[in-house]
Amino acid sequence: MGVEDENNFKLRPMKCELNYLSKSDGSAILAQGETVVLVSVNGPLDIKSNSQSIEKATLEVLFCGKGGKPSVADRFKENVIKQTCETAILGCLYPRTGISLTIQELEDYGGLLTCTVNCACLALLNSGMAMRHMVAAISCAVNEVGNLVLEPSYEQVQSSRALLHFVFESREKNLVTGFTEGSFSEDTYEEALARCRLASELVFDFYRDIVRKYSNVI
Amino acid sequence: MKISIGDVALPGDYCEEICEVAEKSKVIIGPGLRKEADRVYITKPGVLKKRSPCTYWVDSYQKRYVPSRGENIIGVVVQKAGDIFRVDVGGSITAALSYLSFEGATKKNRPEVQVGDVVYAKMLVASKDMEPELVCVDSHGKKGRLGVLTDGFVFKCSLNLIRKILNPSCPLLESLKNEWPFEVAAGMNGRIWIKANSMRETIAVGNAILGAEYLNDEEIKTMCNNIAAILAGHVS
Repeated sequence: MGVEDENNFKLRPMKCELNYLSKSDGSAILAQGETVVLVSVNGPLDIKSNSQSIEKATLEVLFCGKGGKPSVADRFKENVIKQTCETAILGCLYPRTGISLTIQELEDYGGLLTCTVNCACLALLNSGMAMRHMVAAISCAVNEVGNLVLEPSYEQVQSSRALLHFVFESREKNLVTGFTEGSFSEDTYEEALARCRLASELVFDFYRDIVRKYSNVI
Repeated sequence: MKISIGDVALPGDYCEEICEVAEKSKVIIGPGLRKEADRVYITKPGVLKKRSPCTYWVDSYQKRYVPSRGENIIGVVVQKAGDIFRVDVGGSITAALSYLSFEGATKKNRPEVQVGDVVYAKMLVASKDMEPELVCVDSHGKKGRLGVLTDGFVFKCSLNLIRKILNPSCPLLESLKNEWPFEVAAGMNGRIWIKANSMRETIAVGNAILGAEYLNDEEIKTMCNNIAAILAGHVS
């Protein structure tokens, strides 16, 4: 965990199971360290005509926290995930339909949002939905002394000065989504961005390993 | 990432081999591939395959059906609306099946199709912007194997299981058909209809098909032998 030097780092261990739910069109359960999220994808399906869009699929994201009570923070997460997934999905192939993404938080020990984005990407891969590219989310914390901590643990998040989340796409490793909390300098931001971009490679390799495992038997 | 034929493909990867061939001759890019500006990109996770001379596609895992032209599907009639039947095919919207597109049907002589009937039909029109349209006759006006499926049992499975069992090299149906008599219709929309002489035999066929999903050819043969042995009463 954390960063030893710039080119030698590892992320928290990732464990994943695809097709976890038998009835949904695509589902994935992902554990990043101790944070666990379950995502189910359904679609393209029929939706109410007033929410249909004639040029692309409508994406609907539902986030259920552990407590079960919907909150404003959940709406924020839904929005981030919705916008991230909209760039990834080739919605123009499924006009006038709806795609629903249901997320259930199971355990939160730091990095919930990154785990959710990665899990959503895996569920979309499992559903066979046409996608422009994949996405990988990486978080980075700035600790009390100003050092960068990649994929911080729960304690590190609590004591951190700032928290930066980045989502990259798989084609050119461009930034898709970025959101930050706390205060930090511009240089810190640039450095965190560069490090997270390198680390995103590991997540994409993880996706490839998973697909390789099942692709020889289907 | 750049990949070549036979590799594991993930959305966002691209294949230069296709573009090189495309400069010399026409190529056909199938499901999971998409041409964007100068490159051919992958859109679905799976394995990039090629069939000579120049057809390319990605074999991927999928459960939700997206209608595509020319495929034989199994649907359930959900509504009779004037001169068409609405058929649920498992896609985002129902498909239309005209009552005139049955063998020997005329305006006077309507086919006997009720709501709730299961039909084996062919996709005549399937585009992302239009309602899909089904027919139960071929271009000569003959019904062939299409039409209403009576009796039997329908169940759902993933789309790639259908492709797997319909593959001529798959030993599943080949080894089952010698064991006991049954009829089977596989719809490309992930539905399978089976009709056998007894309930026991029907369930045996169903289990054999569902069990074949993650097995290779050798394992499928062994499984079929086991099921046949159990059914014949040699093993309890």
